Amino acid sequence: MSHVALDPSTGVRADGTRSDVAIDVIDLVKQFGHNRALNGVTFQVPRGSVFGVIGPNGAGKTTIMRALLDIIRPTSGQATVLGTPSRNAGPDLRRRIGYLPGELILEGRTSGRRLLAHYADISGPVQAGHVHELAERLGLDLDRQVRKLSKGNKQKLGIVQAFMHQPELLVLDEPTSGLDPLMQQEFLTMVREAQSRGQTVFLSSHVISEIQQAADEVAILRDGRIVTINTVDELRSTAIRHLRLVASGIRPTDLAAVLGALEGVTTLECTLTPAGDAEAVATLSGEIAPFVQAISTLQLKDLMLEEPDLEESVLKLYSAPAHTSSPSSPPSSPPRDVTT
Amino acid sequence: MTVVQDSAPTVRRAPLPIFGKVFTDSWRGLVGWALGLAAAAFLYLPLYPSISGGSAMQDIIKNLPPELIKTLNYDQIGTGAGYAQATVFGLIGFVLMTIAATSWGASALGGDEESGRLELTLAHGVTRVQVAAARFCAIAVKILVLSALTFLFVLALNDPAQLQIDLGNLLGTSLMFGGVSLLTASVALLGGALSGRRIGGIAAGSGVAVVGYIFNALGNQSAGLEWLHNLSPYYWAFGSNPLSSGADPATIAAFYALSLVLAAAAALALRQRDIGV
Repeated sequence: MSHVALDPSTGVRADGTRSDVAIDVIDLVKQFGHNRALNGVTFQVPRGSVFGVIGPNGAGKTTIMRALLDIIRPTSGQATVLGTPSRNAGPDLRRRIGYLPGELILEGRTSGRRLLAHYADISGPVQAGHVHELAERLGLDLDRQVRKLSKGNKQKLGIVQAFMHQPELLVLDEPTSGLDPLMQQEFLTMVREAQSRGQTVFLSSHVISEIQQAADEVAILRDGRIVTINTVDELRSTAIRHLRLVASGIRPTDLAAVLGALEGVTTLECTLTPAGDAEAVATLSGEIAPFVQAISTLQLKDLMLEEPDLEESVLKLYSAPAHTSSPSSPPSSPPRDVTT
Repeated sequence: MTVVQDSAPTVRRAPLPIFGKVFTDSWRGLVGWALGLAAAAFLYLPLYPSISGGSAMQDIIKNLPPELIKTLNYDQIGTGAGYAQATVFGLIGFVLMTIAATSWGASALGGDEESGRLELTLAHGVTRVQVAAARFCAIAVKILVLSALTFLFVLALNDPAQLQIDLGNLLGTSLMFGGVSLLTASVALLGGALSGRRIGGIAAGSGVAVVGYIFNALGNQSAGLEWLHNLSPYYWAFGSNPLSSGADPATIAAFYALSLVLAAAAALALRQRDIGV
């Protein structure tokens, strides 16, 4: 909860660390025996932003987060959190962080209230009434025994525990896991509110849909490497849209020629409808303007262009050949072509 | 870019959260162990007058194999002090305390890490050394409480059971009893801290206790095996019959000091490791 006044034009503190960066990870490598969990991960999370990490199970999301909390020590590379190197960082740093582990294990034989009171004892100062307020929002009964809570309700306890001291940085590993859609929305609202208060949020998920509404930037992680870092808008602009159109006065082969010439159109199939029209079904990625221009000359009878399917494009990134991955894509780099 | 610092009052915090939590979590267990020790004292010690009275009991004991008598320390049960040593401090009480100490030591770090809870604790504003130290201190307090209760139980039965144990010797033996138990707990703590598993602590703690007991028993059998006494914490504690001849303060201090060293090693081991992998 520290408040450092400095010149926003420089953003550099006296000790050389950048004050406008909440998390600065440089070439992080973590080796577990023969298994290389992190393979040179580099990224920065600006202060006050919401940064998401997406990756399949085992991609290294949890390992990054644990390294930030000094629960595990990287083999090489370094992570700087809120201006402090995470390795052997003292308790003062962790009081400024709220952490939700991916595999949340809570003590069962106590009430939620008592458990939170204990975590309040060892975290940053908690405002009176704030725990109650958070529990109320999430619809969590604090007087029930923890072991009798459902998975979703245990997750809510974990979320309250991470948010209750209003830390400068929230590190949330799969925060929406186990939450019903209504609670997922409430959680995303909490994330946005935290952001508006100036808190930084670093969260992970194995599906982008859970965090795309909240995240400013999304890093896609695979096999211990960052494949890309993009804004959600950038991802969306490259994402795949399914399209279907019906045009009259054109033969399917001619329609195929028009659409097939466009960049980003794949899996194109043109057929003749029973009514004698030409129907095209395809997927479209990339810019939409050339497509609209191309079809403006057609006599369209029907057009359906779906919302971009981020999930599908992320899945393609998961399975893209490893040699295209770059561990140090700058945050503003254009997204890779995901249609190949 | 800045976090708004509201002026609302903050929740009051417990002064020693990690240390205190051990007691709120496990006071029931502590009561259970205390009842067990009470049962051991109150079932065994009142029998002493009937055993020492030159009755048939002595004949039975004389007819036991000498190896068994030496193993159970029954060669001394002609005196009240020897009897209390052989039954409470050296056998049933020792077993109960060893089990309690081992399980507390193994759970404190190894068990907590294995269950996945230690990760979240360490993600808060505490250091690993603080957590290890607080939990060791809590175990030490619990063991001292049980030792003090054992002292009181035996003291309460001293006259009714005609034990004639010297008060100073009883105090010294109770402290020795606590010391050897704390040593077991510290070994279990270290085993858990090194392995990150509860079983690692159980194996280490119970291993030291059981091997110590066996080495003591073997060393009692013949002069050729007496060197095994040197490797037996059990013998270090009880070999010189502290209840009848007085406990050596230096030995008592050594037990507690060695426990501290082992706890420090556990804290350092925990500090070096990756947690929960």
